[in-house]
Amino acid sequence: MKFASALVGALALSVAALPAAAEEGAVIRADELKAMPFIDAATSAKVTANQQVTIVGRKGGWVEVQAGGQTGWLRMLNVRLAAGSGPAQGQANVRAASLLRTGSSGKTVTTGIKGLGEEDLQNASPDPAQVAALADFAVPASEASANAHASGLVEQQVEFVDEKGKPVTRPKAKGKNK
Amino acid sequence: MTRLRRPLSLLIAAALCLPPAPAQAQFGGLGGLFDKAQKAKKVGDSMREIGPEEEIKIGNDLAGMILGAAPLVDNAAEQHYVNRLGMWLALHTDRPDLPWKFGVIATEDVNAFSTPGGYVLISQGVFERVRNESELAGVLAHEIAHVVQKHHLHALQNEMRTTAVADVGGSMVASGGVGGFLTEQVVKAGKTLYTRGLDKGDEYEADRMGVVIAARAGYSPYGLVGVLQTLSAQQDQKGMALMMKTHPNPTDRMDRLGKAMGTRLDALTPVADDLPSFVALRNPPPPPAAKAPAKARAKAKPRRK
Repeated sequence: MKFASALVGALALSVAALPAAAEEGAVIRADELKAMPFIDAATSAKVTANQQVTIVGRKGGWVEVQAGGQTGWLRMLNVRLAAGSGPAQGQANVRAASLLRTGSSGKTVTTGIKGLGEEDLQNASPDPAQVAALADFAVPASEASANAHASGLVEQQVEFVDEKGKPVTRPKAKGKNK
Repeated sequence: MTRLRRPLSLLIAAALCLPPAPAQAQFGGLGGLFDKAQKAKKVGDSMREIGPEEEIKIGNDLAGMILGAAPLVDNAAEQHYVNRLGMWLALHTDRPDLPWKFGVIATEDVNAFSTPGGYVLISQGVFERVRNESELAGVLAHEIAHVVQKHHLHALQNEMRTTAVADVGGSMVASGGVGGFLTEQVVKAGKTLYTRGLDKGDEYEADRMGVVIAARAGYSPYGLVGVLQTLSAQQDQKGMALMMKTHPNPTDRMDRLGKAMGTRLDALTPVADDLPSFVALRNPPPPPAAKAPAKARAKAKPRRK
């Protein structure tokens, strides 16, 4: 027990010092590197198709990249992540949180220990107790709204779009099966 | 007169459409039996619009199946957080009044599920790999769109139309009673559906709706795009197999989503990429020292209401 809490403490401390990992990627189409994450911002440099970039930040639909000694912003959709790049499995900070929980509750580790493959679903027996537990976590709309407003989220009026980007009130649900 | 004739015609119909010997021997209430058989048949009737009550019951059965494979993560703060966010997103759809329920399930695989009637389950693997709250919102909104559009419900109807009628006799005996009859049929069809996946068109549609739902709720619509980038870069890694089997290629999804979005969602302001509460949830303050563990833990994990 003493060992466990020492371990948890050490882990949490080391986690706090971890920097966010930079991501590697490549430019999809030739583009302009913008000084700010806006379409009409000044162009700071040009990038060519397939040019390697390191992603150091993200904001809305934009990623901040370092490319050929320059830093600037590209549209997210014009950057392809390198294979294997992106947030790592079991990000240390979250894993530390679940370890903390495990240590304090004394229960067995329930996170990050198994996969969920096709066979697991095929062999699954329905678990009504878990469905009941799921229902216990549900929140009323009023709580969700109050929480969102307190967080400063601002609602927007946005229409749905079809494949070509044409606004539609709501895509028609496929009532009849084809 | 009609009153008298009706039960008789029911009996005849039942006798005609059921394998008579084993079913009749085992179940006395033929009227109830007939009812259940018809119900199962009706789920598979693609021309029938299933009502909300039945939709929720079907979703409940299917959520039970997924939870049977991977239970909820033992972290109340995380579960509450996902429910507040999920419900907020669902309020920005045409079906805000469904009994929406959200959960994080204990698997390090990257996947997310929804079942009819408002059940949404995401894996701990997804929860850990999102970069910020707008990415989590994007994943939840994609699943919410499946429910709003009844994608799984309709696919299930298709599936059951082809299997339910043929199975009526056999599974009734196997289930040991008519009470569990419908559930068993639904779960059986559900296992096929959730390991095969929806039509690709349903996935593309959920992507297009997902980014809009997230934007309506105040988040960057590009959160889902960020997740698709991650999936595209990590598609060959461990923990991606079932998701990759049941969904179109993430690069293809990004291309199509990009075409549909264009730049028309770029002008929205303000939009949230992340929230301090989400950062705090995933980075609990470290306990100050190992000598006072009880106190430290209480501090690190404030009780949420």
